[in-house]
This record gives sequence, C-alpha cells and structure tokens, in this order.
Amino acid sequence: MNAEVLQAPAVEEQFDDPTQQREAATLGMWLFLATEILFFGVLFASYTVCRVLHSEGFAVASRRTDMLLGSIETAVLLVSSSLIALGVRAVRMNERRLASWLFAGTSALGISFLVMHGFEYHKEYEEHLVPGLDFAQSGANAPAIELFFCLYYFITGFHSLHVFIGVVVIGVLAIRIARGAFGPRHHTTLELAALYWHLVDIVWIFVYPAIYLIGRAG
Amino acid sequence: MSRQESLSSATKEDKAEPPVTPLSHYLWVLAALLALLALSAGTALIKLGTWNTVINLLIAVMKVLLVISVFMHETEARKLTRLTSALGFIWLAMLIGLALFDFLTRSLVPAPWG
Repeated sequence: MNAEVLQAPAVEEQFDDPTQQREAATLGMWLFLATEILFFGVLFASYTVCRVLHSEGFAVASRRTDMLLGSIETAVLLVSSSLIALGVRAVRMNERRLASWLFAGTSALGISFLVMHGFEYHKEYEEHLVPGLDFAQSGANAPAIELFFCLYYFITGFHSLHVFIGVVVIGVLAIRIARGAFGPRHHTTLELAALYWHLVDIVWIFVYPAIYLIGRAG
Repeated sequence: MSRQESLSSATKEDKAEPPVTPLSHYLWVLAALLALLALSAGTALIKLGTWNTVINLLIAVMKVLLVISVFMHETEARKLTRLTSALGFIWLAMLIGLALFDFLTRSLVPAPWG
C-alpha cells in the first residue's frame, strides 16, 4: 500500500493539526448543506402553501404518481445511504477493497434511482401530465393538478440533478479508493461526500410522502 | 516544532479521531429506516384524514433524525457543527411556519379591506 495514506494528511498552514483541519472541513460542508436545505426549502414552502390552497386537487394529482416506484426509489436511496456510511467505516478500518465496492454500490444504486425516475417521467409524459410540454387534463381540478406537477418536476428534477452529481463524485471516489488514495487517517474527503449523499437522501425522505402518499386512502 | 512537540501532537490527534461506529448500529438503523418506510406506505392507504399527513410527516422526521444522528455522526460532532447543521432546518421551519401563519389564518382573520 501507498505509505503516505497510513499517515494523517498534510496540514495546511492555517490549521494547527489534522483534527482542526478535519473539523473545519466538516463545518464548511454543513454550511454548504444548510444552503442546500434552503434551496430545496423554498420549493417545499411553495408546495406547502399550494397544498393548503388546493388540498383536493393535490390529492387527485398525487394519485396520478406511481406509488410503487416511488416507494422502491425511497428504499434504494435509504440502502445507498447505508452503503456509503459502511464505505467510510471500511476505509477507516483499512478495508480498502470493501470500501471501494461499497462506494461503487452507492453510485450504482444512484444510477438505478435515476433510471426508475426516467421511467416515471416517461409514463407521465404519455399520460399528458407534463406542464408546458404536453399537459392535457380537464375538470375542475385541472389547474391544481398542473400546479402540483409543476412543483413535482422542479423538486424531483433538482433532486435528480443532485443524485446525478453524487453518482459521478462517488463513482470517482470509488476508483480513487481502489487506487489507494485514502486510508484510516486520510478520509475527510470521503466523509464529506457521504454527508452530501445523506442530505440528498434526507431531501427525498420528505419528497416521498409529499408527492406520492397524499390522497391514497380516498 | 521540536520532535517532542510533534510527538505529543500526534498522540493528541489520535485521541481526537472519533471512534469507529460498530457495524450493528448501521444495520439496525437501515432496518429501522426500511420499517418506517413500510409503515408510512401502509398508513397512507388507511383513511385517517388529516392524521395521514401528520403521521407521514412524523415518520419522515424520525427517518431524518436517524440518518443525521447515526449516518452523519452528528451525535459525535462538535457543538459548533451541530448548531450549524440545525440552523438550516430551523430557518426552513421559520420560512414554512411564517408562510402558514399567513395562509392558514386568512379565513379566520380577514383583511379589513377585503
């Protein structure tokens, strides 16, 4: 193994020691994640207000989404979050090969999430549910359904973009782990990528009931 | 830095490295997350009115707390990091809360000119 990964990473001049450097990086990542929470937050805030104003229309619209695929996608993201957490753990325990596979698995689950979402988008297009492109619904609830699907595409679209970025970053990290770029004392980059992926998971945890689960019992 | 100092700082940073979380913790959390997912899908199919929304939101919050505390190691993080991570959610709660104060009270408290 590359000898330098067994040691702590080089400390930049503004830091006293590796611990301070790692904590500063984690804090910075959380600041970035806070901006991400607010980025998705405005979409959730508009969703909440629109749902209060058009509760019946939103329930009708939610029934048009695919609950089974939505549930499978949720399970896929939850499992992928566990895999990357186990991956970081494996690096810290110096099990490089296992860690590389766990990161690759996380990335692969991210790809499968995107593929499933692609099927959903395609199905909705065929059912004329895409506002601005091919929206053709009638009835009293049609404007509320259009509003719901506008928010749906903004929220899930931006979320999928985040998943895509995560897939690329984590895929590259899987290769770098296999090449020996990280070790038990040198894993901050991996921790930060995992934090990002967990946040993508957290956003979806709220998307799932908001988009797929309303008006199911009626 | 003398050799003595560099040695002592090396021991310090070893102590500061947070302990590795046991494998069983991660597996239990994953099982709990999947059970909560099944619970939210199941309760969504039962007609409970407003409670459907309340239950789904509570389940989502429980899942997020599990992810943040175990997967994201927030329970082991420094206070400053914990505060920062809470801030994003607090601002979001204020944003949605204040927006709802407006929209939910519009029928109760009509505008004087309305």
